Amino acid sequence: MQARNLELSLLVLGTVITVVAYGLLSVADGAEVRAQIVIFFVIILLLLLGAHVVVRNTAPNADGLLLPLAALLNGLGYVMIARIDIPKETDLAVSQSAWTFIGVGAFSATLLLIPDLKKFANYRYSLGLLGVGLLMTPLIPGLGVNINGAQIWLRAGPFSIQPGEFAKIVLAAFLAGYLVEKRELLALSNRRLGPLNFPDLKHFGPLLLALVIALLVMVTQRDLGSSLLFFTLFLVMIYIATGRTAYVATGLSLFMVGSFVSWRLFSHVQTRVTQWFSPFDIGPGEQIAEASFALADGGITGRGLGEGTPQRIPFAETDMIFAAVGEELGLLGATVVLAAFMFFVSSGFRVAATVNAPFEKLLAAGLTALIGFQAFIIIGGVLRVLPLTGVTLPYMSYGGSSLISNYIILALLIRISDSTPVADKQPALVDSTS
Amino acid sequence: MNASLRHVMVVLLGCFVLLFVQLNRIQVLQADELAANGFNTRQARRDFGLPRATILSSDGIVIAMSEPTGAAEGFQNRRLYPFADLYAHSVGYVSFGRNSDGVELTYSEEILGRTAPRLTELADLIDQTPDPGTVVLTLDHGLQQTAKEALGDRTGSVVAMDPQTGAILALYSFPSFDPNPLADTNIGSANAAFSELLEADGNPLRARAYRDIKFPGSTFKVITAAAGLEHNLVTIEEPVFPETDSYTPPLTTAAIRNFDGGPCGGDLAQLLVRSCNTAFAELAAETLGPEIMVNQAEAAGFNNVPPFDLPGSVASVFPALDTFGAQLQEPNEIRPAGLYENTPKLAQASIGQNDVAATPLQMALMIAGVANDGVIPIPHVLAEVRDVEGDVIDTFDVGDGWRQSMEPENAANLAAALIEADEVGGAASVDGLEIGVKTGTAQLGTDPPRTHAWIVGFAGRPGEDPQIAVAVLVEGQEGSADQTGGGVAGPIARDLFIEFFDSAEG
Repeated sequence: MQARNLELSLLVLGTVITVVAYGLLSVADGAEVRAQIVIFFVIILLLLLGAHVVVRNTAPNADGLLLPLAALLNGLGYVMIARIDIPKETDLAVSQSAWTFIGVGAFSATLLLIPDLKKFANYRYSLGLLGVGLLMTPLIPGLGVNINGAQIWLRAGPFSIQPGEFAKIVLAAFLAGYLVEKRELLALSNRRLGPLNFPDLKHFGPLLLALVIALLVMVTQRDLGSSLLFFTLFLVMIYIATGRTAYVATGLSLFMVGSFVSWRLFSHVQTRVTQWFSPFDIGPGEQIAEASFALADGGITGRGLGEGTPQRIPFAETDMIFAAVGEELGLLGATVVLAAFMFFVSSGFRVAATVNAPFEKLLAAGLTALIGFQAFIIIGGVLRVLPLTGVTLPYMSYGGSSLISNYIILALLIRISDSTPVADKQPALVDSTS
Repeated sequence: MNASLRHVMVVLLGCFVLLFVQLNRIQVLQADELAANGFNTRQARRDFGLPRATILSSDGIVIAMSEPTGAAEGFQNRRLYPFADLYAHSVGYVSFGRNSDGVELTYSEEILGRTAPRLTELADLIDQTPDPGTVVLTLDHGLQQTAKEALGDRTGSVVAMDPQTGAILALYSFPSFDPNPLADTNIGSANAAFSELLEADGNPLRARAYRDIKFPGSTFKVITAAAGLEHNLVTIEEPVFPETDSYTPPLTTAAIRNFDGGPCGGDLAQLLVRSCNTAFAELAAETLGPEIMVNQAEAAGFNNVPPFDLPGSVASVFPALDTFGAQLQEPNEIRPAGLYENTPKLAQASIGQNDVAATPLQMALMIAGVANDGVIPIPHVLAEVRDVEGDVIDTFDVGDGWRQSMEPENAANLAAALIEADEVGGAASVDGLEIGVKTGTAQLGTDPPRTHAWIVGFAGRPGEDPQIAVAVLVEGQEGSADQTGGGVAGPIARDLFIEFFDSAEG
């Protein structure tokens, strides 16, 4: 029960922080928002309490940090979106609150409907097909829509979703299932290629095929960020499953070659790389330059909520939301976000390390890697550590598909976290692989 | 698998540490550099919407102010210039995305209230926006209006100053422009207005009074006379130059004639009164020589940028010593100046032609020196800066002036000669005032002939030190016998003197 109590107190703390931030925002904006503060506080508290009650009932032994961290990031993101709404005169915060409700609903539903993940390992091939299929659906003419140069959306009436966000979860499950089954074979070496040892192709085959299809689909859809993320997921999971650095080395080499080739071939890749190296040569208002200006303007303590001009950053509510945080909440605020993700990653990997069942172990690791590397990729793009790619910052960016899929990931992690019997919280004394 | 798990976790956490390092680089180490980046408009946007100090003329008229826009986001204040083009070249303007000009530029820190002592109230700890106070200028509104009316729609400039302190009393050029559209918070409109001004006829953005140099013509003879006096090569009374209607310098056949083609001569005082070209040219070519002329011109401020507190003022030009060529003959009894390859150039320069060019500001400073015992003051438009409570927090330090152009005795003699010149010529005479002037009609050498009509002068009550010095230039007048400096520019100077002493009394 300790974990649940910790979770409860952290949830309340996170809610208070979010509400205080929202309050500061309304002070800066004028009194009009102030009356809603109490209602705002009560609604969030009830929502999170509801989620907490579901966890108490369905996964009482689960890790207590994951949900509060996600809720904190979600709350801060919401406040930033509300803040950017003001000068832009948009209502994205309203939508985001709707998505939050649905996300927490999906979180609860996942916990309630899926008491045990073990069965999913049996459906791994179906999951693989489903995953690739989901990735490909935006290519269907009529249903698929090209937004901002990326063909990754499905639109039906007023609703648009990104099936790719859900495909990632499905594919992670496929990978976990497949790798658990094949990992000993994959860890062996039957063929030598120079200093490296490789397994038979037939074991490697379906995996490579799925990877190539997924990557191809993403590159043709111009979703560079997701293809990078998925490739990273694949490498991470195969390394964890087999412990063979040979895979990592090969993978990275393939990645270098692939990157170079795609740079030569695709103009949109060239644009991204040029913008990465010389963001200040492009012109005013260009995303990366504006993000750096905004961050620098924030300094250590930030401009203050409502005192900066984050609306000048293109895509401030979505991909670039980290820069908006950095501008108004400063180095301190941005570090809190980084720390939150670091704690999330640590907790996720601790869950993976603690659970014994290999499928759940791998799945937990994969899901954590998805959240962690996605955050790294987009923050890295904003900070010019990497080329900017269009992925969202988990839990913070505006976007329904992203928020809902991330809450489902959270639910799965909590489910896995709970499947460790209380008495067996120690990692296995004997590791079956090195 | 746990070992590999740990490895992956360490790598991923390491990635986040990398992000943290880069975040510090951008937000702390590179912060100043990024803020200064040309594409970064954040600080500029913040500054543009700040309230600015009210700018007052010396007689308390509001000539620039900030007005709240009432906008929730974006610029909170906008700058207004109630008198539009009257003060455009002095007060200047602020315009988003481009450099300010005028007082708005030079005193931008004072205008934004950043030089006032902070933390006058506890509330200042929370609200760090400085409260701008008031900036008081030396410009006299009545005089400025007189200058504009008198000049009318003729291209030219009017500069009036206090010869003792250098305080600028009036500064106006035509064509001028309305700075209000440039300060518009609607950036598109402001840019359109600026483009229009750039393309407008006559270059209205140009502050001719202190940024344009023109042939000074006969007004330069004051300097030539001063050169002779300073080196004891002439006195006010001796020598007496012969009446002649032309002088041909050595090494040339081009004769220098007097303006009306007739004869001219006399002692130095009379030469100034009658504005003889022949005598002055002869004086410079035969007696003074290039070195003395260059020194005297530079003593008066030529070839130096005046220490003016408006930006962008330019140096007036007198040709450098080496442009007069090598010395061909040593100074001797007959020709104390010596002979140089370009002595003819010197003859022309001595009467304010050839490569001599001056701003109206410089000529005003020159004559102010004559009126002020030879001391040329530091020209300035700032009188004082007051904080939001009205307390004076800064005044302009006039120091000991800019430079000593000549000995007080020589200045006094020149002044007396110029007073007589005005009494005789009547270019700008006013009953009850003692006025000294030197007119100038600078030949532009065009066909049909055009001239710049100049007058420089000073005025004071009889027995008192002069209180106002002026320079007036009316450019490019159609050349004809009537269009002399006295005829065209004189009335403008006269209007200024009348207005100045009327308002001083009334």
